[in-house]
Amino acid sequence: MFPAKVTKPTFKCYLPPAQTDVKNTVEKPLKKLEAKLLSGEIVVNEVNFVRKCISTENNQEGLWGKLICTNFKVSFIPQDTSPKQKSTLSHLLLGEHDIPLTCLEQVVTVNDTKGKKKVLGSNQKLKFNPTELILYCKDLRVIRFCFEEAGPESARKVCLAIAHYSHPADLQLLFGFEYQGRRYHESKEERVNGSTPRGLQTPIFDRSSDWDREIKRTNASEWRVCSINQSYAVSSSLPEHIVVPSSLTDQDLMQYASSFTDHRIPMWCWSHSNGSALVRMASLTDPLQQKKTEQKIFAAITKSHPQRNEPFRSDLDKSLPSILDIQSAFVKLRQICILDPFEESEERWLSTIENSRWLEYVRAFLKHSAEMVYHLEGGNSSVILQEEEDRDLNCVVSALMQLMLDPRYRSLIGFQSLVQKEWVMAGHRFLDRCNHLKKNDKEESPLFLLFLDCVWQIMNQYPAAFEFTETYLTVLSDSMWIPLFSTFLFSSSKQRAQHLMDFAKHKAIPQGEDQVVYFPPVWEWSQQFSTKDQTLFNNPMYVGKGAACVQNGEVKTFKRKQKAYSSTLRGTPTNLRNGVKGGEESLTRRSSLANELKSELTPVKDLSPSERFFKDWFSRPADLQGLLIPLLMPSHMAFWKLFFLRWVPEACISKGGPVTTYHKLSQLVDEIEILQSQLRQYKGTSPGNTPLTSSGGNPTDQRRMYFQASSPDDPSTPPECLTSSFPFTPTGNLSRRTVQGTPISKFLNGARIWLSTETLANDTV
Amino acid sequence: MEKSGSVDSLGSKRSSSRQPSVDSLSRDHSELKMICFQQAIRDSDKEELQLLPNETVQDMAQDVTYFCPFTGALRGTVTVTNYRLFFKSMDRDSTFMLDLPLGVVSRVERIGNASSRDVSYGLVCKDVRNLRFAHKQMEDTLRKSIFEVLMKFAFPVSNGLQIFAFEYGQVFPENGWKVYDALSEYKRQGIPNESWRITKVNDHYELCDTYPSTLAVPVNIPDEELKRVAAFRAKGRIPVLSWIHPESQATVTRCSQPMVGVNGKRSKEDEKYLQAIMDANAQSHKLFIFDARPSVNAAANKMKGGGYESEDAYQNAELVFLDIHNIHVMRESLRKLKEVVYPNIEDSHWLSNLESTHWLEHIKLILAGALRIADKVESGKTSVVVHCSDGWDRTAQLTSLSMLMLDGYYRTIRGFEVLLEKEWLSFGHRFQLRIGHGDKNHTDADRSPVFIQFIDCVWQLTRQFPAAFEFNEYFLVTILDHLYSCLFGTFLCNSEQQRLKEEIPKRTVSLWSYINSQLEDFTNPLYVNYSNHVLFPAVSLRHLELWVGYYIRWNPRMRPQEPIHQRYKELLAKRAELQKRVDELQREVANRSASSASERPGSPTRSITPVQTFV
Repeated sequence: MFPAKVTKPTFKCYLPPAQTDVKNTVEKPLKKLEAKLLSGEIVVNEVNFVRKCISTENNQEGLWGKLICTNFKVSFIPQDTSPKQKSTLSHLLLGEHDIPLTCLEQVVTVNDTKGKKKVLGSNQKLKFNPTELILYCKDLRVIRFCFEEAGPESARKVCLAIAHYSHPADLQLLFGFEYQGRRYHESKEERVNGSTPRGLQTPIFDRSSDWDREIKRTNASEWRVCSINQSYAVSSSLPEHIVVPSSLTDQDLMQYASSFTDHRIPMWCWSHSNGSALVRMASLTDPLQQKKTEQKIFAAITKSHPQRNEPFRSDLDKSLPSILDIQSAFVKLRQICILDPFEESEERWLSTIENSRWLEYVRAFLKHSAEMVYHLEGGNSSVILQEEEDRDLNCVVSALMQLMLDPRYRSLIGFQSLVQKEWVMAGHRFLDRCNHLKKNDKEESPLFLLFLDCVWQIMNQYPAAFEFTETYLTVLSDSMWIPLFSTFLFSSSKQRAQHLMDFAKHKAIPQGEDQVVYFPPVWEWSQQFSTKDQTLFNNPMYVGKGAACVQNGEVKTFKRKQKAYSSTLRGTPTNLRNGVKGGEESLTRRSSLANELKSELTPVKDLSPSERFFKDWFSRPADLQGLLIPLLMPSHMAFWKLFFLRWVPEACISKGGPVTTYHKLSQLVDEIEILQSQLRQYKGTSPGNTPLTSSGGNPTDQRRMYFQASSPDDPSTPPECLTSSFPFTPTGNLSRRTVQGTPISKFLNGARIWLSTETLANDTV
Repeated sequence: MEKSGSVDSLGSKRSSSRQPSVDSLSRDHSELKMICFQQAIRDSDKEELQLLPNETVQDMAQDVTYFCPFTGALRGTVTVTNYRLFFKSMDRDSTFMLDLPLGVVSRVERIGNASSRDVSYGLVCKDVRNLRFAHKQMEDTLRKSIFEVLMKFAFPVSNGLQIFAFEYGQVFPENGWKVYDALSEYKRQGIPNESWRITKVNDHYELCDTYPSTLAVPVNIPDEELKRVAAFRAKGRIPVLSWIHPESQATVTRCSQPMVGVNGKRSKEDEKYLQAIMDANAQSHKLFIFDARPSVNAAANKMKGGGYESEDAYQNAELVFLDIHNIHVMRESLRKLKEVVYPNIEDSHWLSNLESTHWLEHIKLILAGALRIADKVESGKTSVVVHCSDGWDRTAQLTSLSMLMLDGYYRTIRGFEVLLEKEWLSFGHRFQLRIGHGDKNHTDADRSPVFIQFIDCVWQLTRQFPAAFEFNEYFLVTILDHLYSCLFGTFLCNSEQQRLKEEIPKRTVSLWSYINSQLEDFTNPLYVNYSNHVLFPAVSLRHLELWVGYYIRWNPRMRPQEPIHQRYKELLAKRAELQKRVDELQREVANRSASSASERPGSPTRSITPVQTFV
């Protein structure tokens, strides 16, 4: 980005030479450019003859059009509507060039001729007329607009409006409250006729029946739903209904609650078929009561275990990076992925990635979760995750553990219910962590993104284990920045309930109406995407219920190769460990084989019980419908390219990338599904019956795969849309300013490295 | 396994897989086999050493300890044959085996002091691993240790013995030596044509003894002049055609450095020759000369009589240096990589340790160079000349990689074999020197992983374009394993002339005989044969990855991800089964409706059409 302190001359050198080219002047717009507005959306300010930069370099290339600021988004309407690339994701509520105001990370105005720049906040003044506006977005886009042909005053006004409206003073000012109110009334009639959104299959866990079902599903017979927090009477951050050990009465719980941070009674998350439970818990605040309360809670959890095994407690604050660490890792990673000049960052790419520590943290969370899984599965004891507030790290670890333990959560609906249960209802402070109101930067932390990255890592290792795709994960993360859904707007269910109650009152929504109806969660994907685009969420490889591979009602598992090694051997007898004693260091590397072999002489350590558990697990074939443990060597941690590099044009592989595999697999699965539907049709045709032509007539309508069966007319080159950024497009979405003059020469000449005289001399050999 | 039996059984993959393939190299570590799905679980009877035709046991020893760096010490039996080392231990609940072709061994040394009761031996292998064994001191002091015997057979060339490839007598249904025929490959490219001709000037390797006998040169340069050009090019390696664009006629030509020297010598013939190469392509009035070396190295070569083309002497030519380092830098880089990945990966600093080896950076430079060549030819319609110093290491990497990007034929299994035969083997990449087959001199400065690097680059391309290659990862790993194994004659010798002299095709088996006889194992099920697909990879460290499936395959903790290819094959089988059932039902319904056609004119089968079943 820009240097922290900008003095006039140094800033100058970051700027391109003033472009005085006249041939790029725009023709007068012939047609009127209108913003596409949602219901309740109003235009605040607009400016014409704006150029949107669409390439990285500082050239004159760009799209001309109108820049508009509304109470919901920054919109750019290009004059020439180039036909949108087919087969890239299109959003139903946002245009190709739109950015929701909540998605803005930083609004920067620049005056090239004066060599000035300013980061704009709310209600600020701007003493110069901007020649350029740079929008840094939370979804990692960087968008640049140039005003060389625009009216200076209107340009300034639009910039100020964007800055102002992206810093709402109050949560209720977020556009979702306006939009959903209107939408509720406008779509009333449709709803009467159509199905209720409770047909939305994702359990929200705002009612006791959702918890009850979860207890039954996991056979957690020694646990019960407790509703003492109804109307948030006990804790302001717990949901109204929680699950607790059956042996504890409501009165006990009332009494214990006061010992915990924010009166958070420890809550049940999940039970293993062996009876061990996963419980999350805040820290105890009352030092006097601490021991006693803790003992009682632990005793109750022990009592709920079929073998009365003692629970295992893990203090996450002590074992994992803090939310501040995670935020700083993300900031560094963002810097190198999208802001640093591409070629400059190539040379030290790997070590810079390492220095950001992001992957290290991803690994730490996965590793800790896997260890907790061991205690539950291998150690057969209940696990208690403890964290000061129980609202951050616990969300990540409990959700990851359940993802590893329970295949249900690897289905799309299951995953959404998991997020709902362990994040939304458990009171993860989305409002603060996302910093939607831009009030407190210190509270901001991309914990949920970290979780999604962890999920991606498991998915990357077990590509057939999840019903959904990495596109789904990416789109889900983007949805955090669209303020139209209730999921990511609030910090607790109490806050959600209060705001939505006020909202319902203001918008004349009848009492008793379900909040899912009037302020839907993000899980109602049809609000954002067409049915066709939603098929991008479906993983053609998925091995699970309802997937193409379930044969004769039986779920097939992948066989991992039998390992020839086993885990019984412990250590190396010391008498066999001879060979290297002191003295070798003086020998040169080349002549000393012992030195080269040194590392192998270190004895194999004794395995801890958990190491043995993992080793045994990895030596067996993985059952994708059973426990799933990711491999966790540093070399197993991959960089999530789709998420972090999708906007980077230089990093885009055209007509290639993992999507080509997805393309092929989808086509094949589509063919299989067509055949299956044909079979069903025939089976419905008992002799003498006419097959139902109508059901077979429109297979295209409900096809589950985005890419459909191949045909002989397929072109002789791969489809253009297949790039490593698919279904996103880097064009125009990353226009960082680079140091003047592209370092192309450097790219071409490669890195200047390790030229010793010896190698030079040797070159002629 | 006797010779005749296996020929009959080649039809069935189960038994042909018992052939000495890669999996026998790695029986102790199953990750390699991940790609080789058919060989999932071995029957217990296969746990015995299966001798190849003409393989003979040389020595056996009981009570030998193998120090597995991953699972600890194992006690078992070692067998040494004229082809391999076989270790088997029953210490654990499951049998542990190690099956190592001796060609893989780069170095054997006795470790430890003489006073110890145990004798310990270390084996450094060419395929990124080290092995260590120990056994009791011999009571009979006259008896040699089994590892002394091993040393003899691991380095047959140094011990006056024959490389096992000359003894191996397996017969395969296909003869891999017939895969490549220079004339038919040029014919495939449309050569000869009005601008290019095939010359016989090197028929007896008189023009250049490291070049193939068949060369394609510009039509208007007579053989006599070729000889004068040869005098100006290092080792007589004149610019010759590697590939021609089917539409634009832009060409990729290769050669060695010009002998410019400190005084800036010029050669009229050479200048005219390059002009002729440019003129052969009507689309462009420019010629690009890609010098693979860093410019400093190229300049340093002038001291030894070499150098590079000056743009003054070669009009319309533009010279570009690609900054790829020499064989010594690459050898050092791989050595460092081995330190980082074998046997264990440290828990911290993985990425910076990897970076410090510079291995991926070298890969990037090579791919970037090849991409520039491909881009010039495809997008710029301009002909290019590629050289380094001698034109048999970096040049081979660059021409073959750019041809792989430009021409989908080379991305098929047979096409790739042709590419290797042509650009690497026939043009004299010095495999014998670079690998050191059967030679105990492990410090030889001529050894270098140039070819491994090339295969790594190919693997990087397959990662970026998963559907563009007919072959799979197992194919590439197999090639690298037999680069060292000395089982096949393919990678023996340094040049076509030497191979002819040694009668390699007559006396040994080609690796392609083995591979082409069980193609299914090596086939990528996702392959789509797009005819006009030129690959432009993203040459960035953001996309380059360490080839874990090769460099870290010995580590049992480095299990690869669940194979997508296997899933795809399962789905293909499922589709076939469904299609069969639909076809049957369709016939049934058709028969029925035919018999009752008069009653119901609107036949229901019309709405049902079979799905396209081609892939």
